[in-house]
Amino acid sequence: MGVVMPLNAEKGRPEQNKRMFKEDSTDLALFVRSSQDDMTGWDRHRIVEALLRETFIDRDTAEKISLDIEATIQKGRVKTVTGPLIREMVNAKLLELGLEEARRMHTRLGVPLYDVDQLLVQHNKENANVPHGPEATNLTLAEGIKKEYALLHVFSPDVADAHLSGDLHLHDLGFIDRPYCSGQSLEYIKKFGLNLPHALSMAKPAKHAEVLLAHMVKFAAALQSHFAGAIGWDAINLFYAPYLESLSDYEVKQLAQMMIYEFSQQAVARGGQAIFSDVNIYWEVPKHFENVEAIGPGGTYTGKTYGEYEKQAQRFAWALFEVYKEGDAAGRPFFFPKPLVHITEKFFKTEGHMDFLHHICEVASVKGNTYFVFDRGETAKISECCRLSFKLEATDLEDAKQPWKMRYSALQNVTINLPRLAYRAKGDDTRLFQLLTEKLQLAAKAHEQKKKFIAKLLALGKGGPLALLAMDLDGQSYLKLDRCSFLIGMVGLNELIRVHLGEELHESEAAIKFGLKVIAHMNLVCNKLAEAMGMKFVLEQTPAESTAFRFAKLDLAHFEAEAEKVIQGDRKRGEVYYTNSTLFNVGAELGPIDRVEREGLFHPLIEAGSITHIWLGEAQPDKEALANFVIKVFRHTQNDQIAFSPEFTACIDCGKTSRGLSESCPYCNSQNVDGITRITGYFTKVSSWNKGKLGELHDRYRNVNRFNN
Amino acid sequence: MTLFTKNDCTLCEQLKKQFDLSAMEVRIEVLDNNDAGALAHLAWHGLVETARKTLPILVLDDSSAVQDFTHIEDHLLDRAARYGVSGKRASRQARCESGSCALQ
Repeated sequence: MGVVMPLNAEKGRPEQNKRMFKEDSTDLALFVRSSQDDMTGWDRHRIVEALLRETFIDRDTAEKISLDIEATIQKGRVKTVTGPLIREMVNAKLLELGLEEARRMHTRLGVPLYDVDQLLVQHNKENANVPHGPEATNLTLAEGIKKEYALLHVFSPDVADAHLSGDLHLHDLGFIDRPYCSGQSLEYIKKFGLNLPHALSMAKPAKHAEVLLAHMVKFAAALQSHFAGAIGWDAINLFYAPYLESLSDYEVKQLAQMMIYEFSQQAVARGGQAIFSDVNIYWEVPKHFENVEAIGPGGTYTGKTYGEYEKQAQRFAWALFEVYKEGDAAGRPFFFPKPLVHITEKFFKTEGHMDFLHHICEVASVKGNTYFVFDRGETAKISECCRLSFKLEATDLEDAKQPWKMRYSALQNVTINLPRLAYRAKGDDTRLFQLLTEKLQLAAKAHEQKKKFIAKLLALGKGGPLALLAMDLDGQSYLKLDRCSFLIGMVGLNELIRVHLGEELHESEAAIKFGLKVIAHMNLVCNKLAEAMGMKFVLEQTPAESTAFRFAKLDLAHFEAEAEKVIQGDRKRGEVYYTNSTLFNVGAELGPIDRVEREGLFHPLIEAGSITHIWLGEAQPDKEALANFVIKVFRHTQNDQIAFSPEFTACIDCGKTSRGLSESCPYCNSQNVDGITRITGYFTKVSSWNKGKLGELHDRYRNVNRFNN
Repeated sequence: MTLFTKNDCTLCEQLKKQFDLSAMEVRIEVLDNNDAGALAHLAWHGLVETARKTLPILVLDDSSAVQDFTHIEDHLLDRAARYGVSGKRASRQARCESGSCALQ
């Protein structure tokens, strides 16, 4: 057994803490171990030094505390003394003296032994996209410490308390030192090559399609290390087009296959987690790229505009969906990259669109991959994550003339627990909207605090931790902080309405109208806050993969009488959840067009992205039926995005994949099987789902006989 | 019948001058940052995106929507006649002089 003491803790006053940013932090982590029996190495002055360095207390108090601690240790005949133990003893003493702020500043971030023991052997299911393994454990442990750091040091106590109590949820706290997600153009690496800060080598712009793919995958991995969430790519088939002219159809398909496998097999990246990647695909050449000069092999202009690459772009789009239709080696759907096809007015004016629509609808039916993103009128956007989208504004369309400048980021996502507001409002409209406003203000405050923190890290420039985001190959830093979005999401509108009005969203027009008023209020308050604070606050339907579960659990604990009446799922099994965002009850027997139409009424108020899921179960509708459905949705609803989600059973023993969720393999009868379907906005294995999502899966209404098949 | 308007929308103001809308039992919804009810009503009719392009919008009793200014005038003139209320067509071609005849 040994004494664990900091070897070379810095001496100095608290105001000098900022030095830690400038110095190599490795030294601070060095420890000395000495024999415990004679307490060799014990020096109470290290307690004094630490208190003076980390807090604002005076030297006399620090000396007194150190003497008290020394006396306690000697008196207790403690056999093992560790740094963490001493620190906790000091903290207890600070509390005893009423020095709460000093105790907070002196906090040690860490993880209990028991928790680490559990983490090493048990799967953390907070994010179904993180498999179980040593890398994932590292990720979880690091996230745990950064979460604590964020709640103690980045956010103010009122914001942190709101998160901890479940009034709202600050997403990705474990990634406090990075923005939330990123959408960009392939043109950046086409023009500048792979030229990353801290990289051991630099690559010139790719001359061949395969090399461009290699650059894209590596850049995506680098971005994944600097963003918490999704990495999206705009108009991917169009920007590859100049590299495809000399390739045969066979070679184009080979490239499509390489791209999809590369992204779907990136389970060696951060925390063993596949890169949450999205590719935006257009059948037509989007209007804003028509006259843009195309960049080709070697990063040089080809002499043509992108408008002239329509056929090549279409060839690649078609090939990508051929690969999606085949699935992986076991016939399973690819989880990533998610293909988002933009359905626009121009789409319907472009030759071959019906063939392509049938093609992608067949993929939607067979494997479920296709996301249909509806850009009506003059709207143009880039989509990613589970449903996030960035609408292109005038400045973005100006950037589109030099597409490498196009990059978008949401800095953070904060979700509000809506049912809890209804519990507190007790049927009073005025109170409900007042509470909602207060939570929106708090969410905005949280965003402001995160922005300030990221700005501080970014200001450290190329020598700082966010060097990649500070790189300025095109004259602007990669992360355009002043143009970032700040997302505000919602969970449980359906349950709020049920508490407040006594019925669910799908049960009456009055319920929908009141739901619209709630979301309209959120939209308007966001506008006001944006104007007042100079930040772009926008509503998003939060994916809430674990938040819908977390809020439900917390409300059952703290508002049991109210929550137990409306909570969804199976309480006995602990599979409880709130209905996600503005979605209707997942189990409501609504026809698909009714669901799409009614849920779609909310979408124009939620400017950063919405989706309606159509759960297919084991159904496999005709491609023509789905194509007609998609056209109807585009023409006659306000819905922003839809996805069809079939279910599969993957046999771990025989390796075959069958349709529907079964407890045993229909081919070999093995019970060693796993389900596959869409959890929130992406496909994954059911075994990796948290309990709340399992409850939702059980409740989902499957549209088995709703299409013509 | 509901007319969706905005305070700084000159076309909206023009219609209010041309017609006695309350006497014609035309409900006026003013879209501003303080009225979630009006925005929700607009969303219920599936007209948020339309309003982002143009205002005013007239929603008829059968829930169909009219956005073209001249067509809105036609419907209001017809209603004015039925209600025995005076109403007139704009003396010159209507233009959005404020440049803000749309939901921001």
